[in-house]
Amino acid sequence: MPGRQLIMTFPVTATSHALPEYRARGGYGALAKALGQMKPQDVVKEITASGLQGRGGAAFAVGRKWQVVQYDDGQPHYLIANADEGEPGTFKDRWILENNPHMLLESMLIASYALNVRNCFVYIRGEFDLPYRRLAEAVEEAYAAGLFGRNILGSDFSCDIVVYRGAGAYVAGEASGLISSLEGKKGYPRNRPPRLTVKGLYQRPTVVNNVESLSNIAWIINHGADAFKAVGTPKSPGTRLFSVSGHINRPGVYEVELGYPWMKFLDEDCGGIPHGRGIKCVVPGGVSSKVLTGADIANLKISHEELWDAGSTLGSGGMIVIAEGTCMVALLQVLMRFYHHESCGQCTPCRHGTGWLHRILDRIVAGDGRADDIERLYYISKFNDGTTICGLGDAAGYACSGILDKFRDEFEYCIEHKRSKFGGNLECLRSS
Amino acid sequence: MPEIFINGQAIEARDDQTVMEVAREHGHFIPYFCWHPQLSVVGNCRMCLVEVEGRGLDIACNMPVAKGMQVFTNSEEVQAHRKAILQFITLNHPVDCGICDKAGECVLQDYHYEYSGQRSLSHDEKVRSTKFYNLSNRILLDNERCILCLRCTRFTHEVSKSMALGVERRGDVSNIRPVEDRPLSEDPYSDNIIDICPVGALLSRQFLHKSRVWFLQPTPSVCPGCARGCTVQIWHRKPEWKLKALDQRQNENIARVTPLDNPAVNGPWICNKGRDLAQMFERVRADEPMLKGRPVTVPAALDEARRLIGAARHPVALVSNWGSNEELETFKDKLGEVFHCFVKQDWQRQPGERIEDDLLIRGDKNPNTTRARELFGHAEPDFKDGTDLVLVWGEGFDFARLPPRAGIIFLNSYLQPENGHADVFLPVSIQTERHGHYTNFEGTISAFEPCFEKKPGVLHAEDLIKALAAPARGHP
Repeated sequence: MPGRQLIMTFPVTATSHALPEYRARGGYGALAKALGQMKPQDVVKEITASGLQGRGGAAFAVGRKWQVVQYDDGQPHYLIANADEGEPGTFKDRWILENNPHMLLESMLIASYALNVRNCFVYIRGEFDLPYRRLAEAVEEAYAAGLFGRNILGSDFSCDIVVYRGAGAYVAGEASGLISSLEGKKGYPRNRPPRLTVKGLYQRPTVVNNVESLSNIAWIINHGADAFKAVGTPKSPGTRLFSVSGHINRPGVYEVELGYPWMKFLDEDCGGIPHGRGIKCVVPGGVSSKVLTGADIANLKISHEELWDAGSTLGSGGMIVIAEGTCMVALLQVLMRFYHHESCGQCTPCRHGTGWLHRILDRIVAGDGRADDIERLYYISKFNDGTTICGLGDAAGYACSGILDKFRDEFEYCIEHKRSKFGGNLECLRSS
Repeated sequence: MPEIFINGQAIEARDDQTVMEVAREHGHFIPYFCWHPQLSVVGNCRMCLVEVEGRGLDIACNMPVAKGMQVFTNSEEVQAHRKAILQFITLNHPVDCGICDKAGECVLQDYHYEYSGQRSLSHDEKVRSTKFYNLSNRILLDNERCILCLRCTRFTHEVSKSMALGVERRGDVSNIRPVEDRPLSEDPYSDNIIDICPVGALLSRQFLHKSRVWFLQPTPSVCPGCARGCTVQIWHRKPEWKLKALDQRQNENIARVTPLDNPAVNGPWICNKGRDLAQMFERVRADEPMLKGRPVTVPAALDEARRLIGAARHPVALVSNWGSNEELETFKDKLGEVFHCFVKQDWQRQPGERIEDDLLIRGDKNPNTTRARELFGHAEPDFKDGTDLVLVWGEGFDFARLPPRAGIIFLNSYLQPENGHADVFLPVSIQTERHGHYTNFEGTISAFEPCFEKKPGVLHAEDLIKALAAPARGHP
């Protein structure tokens, strides 16, 4: 495994997700420690000091988000674990929900204690079946063991949890869209201001954290912020779960210590590219992050700061490896079909722009491309950037302009010759 | 009081204001589709993007003012984005202005000329959707023209509270649709969504393809439908566009009624009854004076009326609460001493009509009860023994309730069976033919203006009252 492990610390067996084994691994020790020895403010301080960054995509510091919530402002507060993992190529939270759900629940209890939350929620993706059953089982076990409900572990702290299943909208994974959906409305993202930490669920201060971000909290409380900072790089402490897919020999979920060399990770841990092919490009963190070519990542380390310098982001940790010989036009068409399908239809640029992108790419792939199509794709991407309520429009634009920047020649070839340079291939073939 | 700068102009704003509100107050126009002063902010049209120094572009409608912020409403970046937003909006919009009722007062048309003027950049087919979707018995929906600003859904959720509309599906195939079990036809304010629709997506069935709006002119008026007295605009054919052939009745008919924005009375809304004033005013009119059902000239009828008044010992008048302030005051002044006066309720609630709510609709379905009661008291009509003459002004009074042997002078506008039963019948003009004021239930006075010419045989009630009070001819 690449580097040190904080989350995937045990061998997965048929019973490793259940409460007894979680307890045997020291589970709910952090909760007892927080409730017994720490004040809520100390927990927030500890998390802030750890420098934990959000794992959902934006890498916003968890501590800074928490600090906005006033502990005793007389309002109810809410905590939501965002388990609506819908970013294409991302399936890391699913590992936690399936194999270590109690780690999430313990962390949520600690976070609820820190933020004065009486009711917390898990918004889980509707398509998740086993993760939902495992999580629901874990919630039942935790209630039966007195870990949720009134006066948890004999303290004054009471907390209840609701597991809510989404209905399959990508945009409901955006924090405010998630809240709209949780309230029973259409999953439309909301305008900021007000921020969700000021007016979120039911117009009350609400913290929405990714499942993986939350899951780190139990470890931080157990071992302290300094121990957490000792893992990873100074600017990106800790580890990240990566779901590796695409043209790779051993796809799956890996826990990677931040700062680990990228090529080493792909070649040694993931077993390299099938059939000995070279890397054409890598989608570093879900398709909404800009792609990096094989040359870009040759000397990169996996950390937030190096990715930002390279013009991309670690995003949601959904790493898609694309081997040489893949048609980027066909790939972009697939991506744009996704964004077109998932646009919620609220903001004008995204509602019409994503469909426009999709139709242009359909046309190029069908051999009916026009000379001004590439310019038009850039135009749509540009005017979707920063002009919409949530980031879906931006993301569609980034994905499009990111691939166009690096593989413009393929698109020009496809428009000029009315066929793909690589035969529209999306597979990793044995020979070309 | 944070000081902000809009296009370099220093402005003192209030803390709770948004940049959009401040800019509008100070004459910096920011274009918008979805924003509406009376509705919540959804910020989805993205047309009001403005540039803030150091923060880039953001929408003005949801931007709270902050001390010292530098806002630019017309920078190059803003102009480029507006142009792009209009490209996106018209991408799937049919641009069928030639057959669209909204043409001429369409916000999208105006903005296109003002901010874009560019041809579509798309080579692809437009997304097709439903045309003429039956939203209610009054409203049709054209989903292709719809730009999904959600003003209509917000109106039904926040103003009329019928919750009748929602959005179905997502992305560029989103459609406005009625919500099951909440029919829009039961919302008495539903037609307001036609006005607030910035494009021609919501269409009035009664106005559909009836006229181009540039052939019409609005005349300010007051809705007589209830005691609220909402200010309205009555749209009718412009004199220079009078039809000289074909359906000439259009020249004298109300084309449509829209609200006249008036914060003191109704804000920007009116109810559907106000939209249907044509049904009220365009009933068959009485246009000849009559004596016991026999048509006569106006002077002859006036002479007979004056003779009856002069001969009566105990005359009673039933005064119309549809009379304007001026008419009621003239009656009080000229005939108040002659008659024993009562206020008559001309119009009662119709079956199925909403009685009263806390938005606009009032229980009293007459426009000027307030002023009439101030002048003539609150007593119900009561005929003491010896009543030998009754002057009935306006419709809605059952003649069977009148004393059997009393003479009747009847002032009415419409052709009704009672007209022939009166000893003297005098036709009077209606609201759309005269000037006047109504006092609503809160005491607010609103003016109405004439839209059409009155017929020669018809008199204005004010002139008629003055004529009745004048001494009879031949008795100086």
